[in-house]
Amino acid sequence: MLVDAIRAEGFRLTKNRTALFWSLVFVPIIAIVIGGLTNFVLKGSETKLLGDTKMPPEMREALLNRGTLDMGGALVEAAASLANPLVLLFVLIGAATVYAGDYRWETWRLISARNSRINLLLAKLAVVAGLALAAMGFMLVADVIENLIKAAVFERTLTFTLTGEGAAHFIGYFALSLLRIVQFTMMGMLAAVMTRSLLAALFVPLVFGVAQFFTTNPLMQMGVMPDAWLAILVNPGSATDAIQAAIGGGERAAGLPDGILLKAWFSVALWTLAPLAGALAWFRRQDLSKE
Amino acid sequence: MTAEIESPVIQVTGLTKTYGSVRALDGLDLSIPRGGVYGVLGPNGAGKSTLFRILLGLIRPTAGTATIMNGPVGDIAPMRLTGSMIETPRYPPFMTARQVLSWLALEHGIAGTADIPYWLERVGLSEAADRKVRGFSVGMMQRLGVAAALISKPELIILDEPTSGMDPPGIQEMRALIRSLAHDDGLTVVLASHQLLEVQRVCDRVAILNKGKLVREGAVSELTAVGERLRLSVSPVDQVLAALGTKGVRDGDAVLADIPRTEGPALIRALAEAGVDIHEARWVGTDLEAIFFTETGAVQAPETIHAG
Repeated sequence: MLVDAIRAEGFRLTKNRTALFWSLVFVPIIAIVIGGLTNFVLKGSETKLLGDTKMPPEMREALLNRGTLDMGGALVEAAASLANPLVLLFVLIGAATVYAGDYRWETWRLISARNSRINLLLAKLAVVAGLALAAMGFMLVADVIENLIKAAVFERTLTFTLTGEGAAHFIGYFALSLLRIVQFTMMGMLAAVMTRSLLAALFVPLVFGVAQFFTTNPLMQMGVMPDAWLAILVNPGSATDAIQAAIGGGERAAGLPDGILLKAWFSVALWTLAPLAGALAWFRRQDLSKE
Repeated sequence: MTAEIESPVIQVTGLTKTYGSVRALDGLDLSIPRGGVYGVLGPNGAGKSTLFRILLGLIRPTAGTATIMNGPVGDIAPMRLTGSMIETPRYPPFMTARQVLSWLALEHGIAGTADIPYWLERVGLSEAADRKVRGFSVGMMQRLGVAAALISKPELIILDEPTSGMDPPGIQEMRALIRSLAHDDGLTVVLASHQLLEVQRVCDRVAILNKGKLVREGAVSELTAVGERLRLSVSPVDQVLAALGTKGVRDGDAVLADIPRTEGPALIRALAEAGVDIHEARWVGTDLEAIFFTETGAVQAPETIHAG
């Protein structure tokens, strides 16, 4: 049963402390440390500037006008950038462990006879999605901590404003970031099943991720504009950007070319579902006697 | 007995598996009855592991059919009645033995983990229950593999080389466990092993495969009874050899008499009356090793006759 497979896969992941540390904890810690240090460095620079008696009074006043720090707005902004390369890289480490672990540890033969192969693979996907969700949650916590440090260092007043529109933006950005991360891990799943290699599960999506950003210029030289079907289809990153702009509304949304959202959603769906379908089809007929 | 109880746990008909030009299984027909310990023997490349892998749904046959626990191979329902250990099992190295069993219990949809300490104790791993498996020896891996195969309370258990990598005391314990599983717990145990003496001691029935085909099948007691001879430690040996004629052959300081069991007492009486000193008389059979070498055409060791 799928539920059994998900519970088992989740249980196994919770025992893999190394994978959990790198996927969930490392990036938030780095974010807090770097963010905190940056605030202290900026504060130091500010103090130095304020000590300059030749500073124009207007500038001094601007620096001393601390204002407020809106945690609600900060969270919405953070949600929009949760699928950043650093989070993506470290979630992929955990995802590669989940997808390729049974090949690496030669454990398929222990579990594959008693459950359908589709269930086993979908369970891995569900657990990786949970891992991505947790990693995003930890990143948001790190963002809150970083903002608390910022407020303390710069003596800014904390506020929390989240309107209905802001909440909708947060949910939209968060869901889109999750989809983007899961999309990358799908490529990892396909690579793991086809190559039985943990390294391939990690690096193939990374290579694809980097490569897609270099598609725009060559395509333009071939006469394919950035909003054309082909350009959007080969670059799901630009598709995600378009959808994110639409979620945010305002000028960015208004500036989107006509019909680009349809192309964007199609591209995102293609890059998410095609690797999944490929992995499932390959895995169903795979010889699992030799992991 | 109901039809279900009498039906074989494994039924294989015309099973063929090819890897390129290599025929690992070549139209194999085999029926494994319910109950007891069943051994599958064969030299390397005979098709034992391929047979097990097909039965467990790990690979697909090229041709033929196979059923396990009354269901086609590859179906989930019969597999839920089957436990298995294929070759030396491996586990995620960061887990303890207890965690491995908990994980597999979840995989198999088994509610609760109350039986885990029992099975760890049964395979002799209680003291190592909370050690990470990355530090386990091959023998400990094998024991954990057997516990993992049993955690789902199967009716059939398939073990591929269960004593591989074990030390002599470990082999003895595993042998006792396998017999206990079959005769005390009522499981059907199907195992493959290269250790023929081991198989002879633990199995009730055996099948000998060679080049993907079944070449011999039957109860161990029946197979080893064929070619049974009366070994007489006597003096003078020549007198007894002369009396037996073509039915007698010298075996060191003894004589092997090729006669039916029913004629044994009369022969001993006649020799005693003829003044022959009889120091020992016992029936010896052909062991599995001799049968194996004969059936598979492998080079036979010089000494093939052992005490039965």
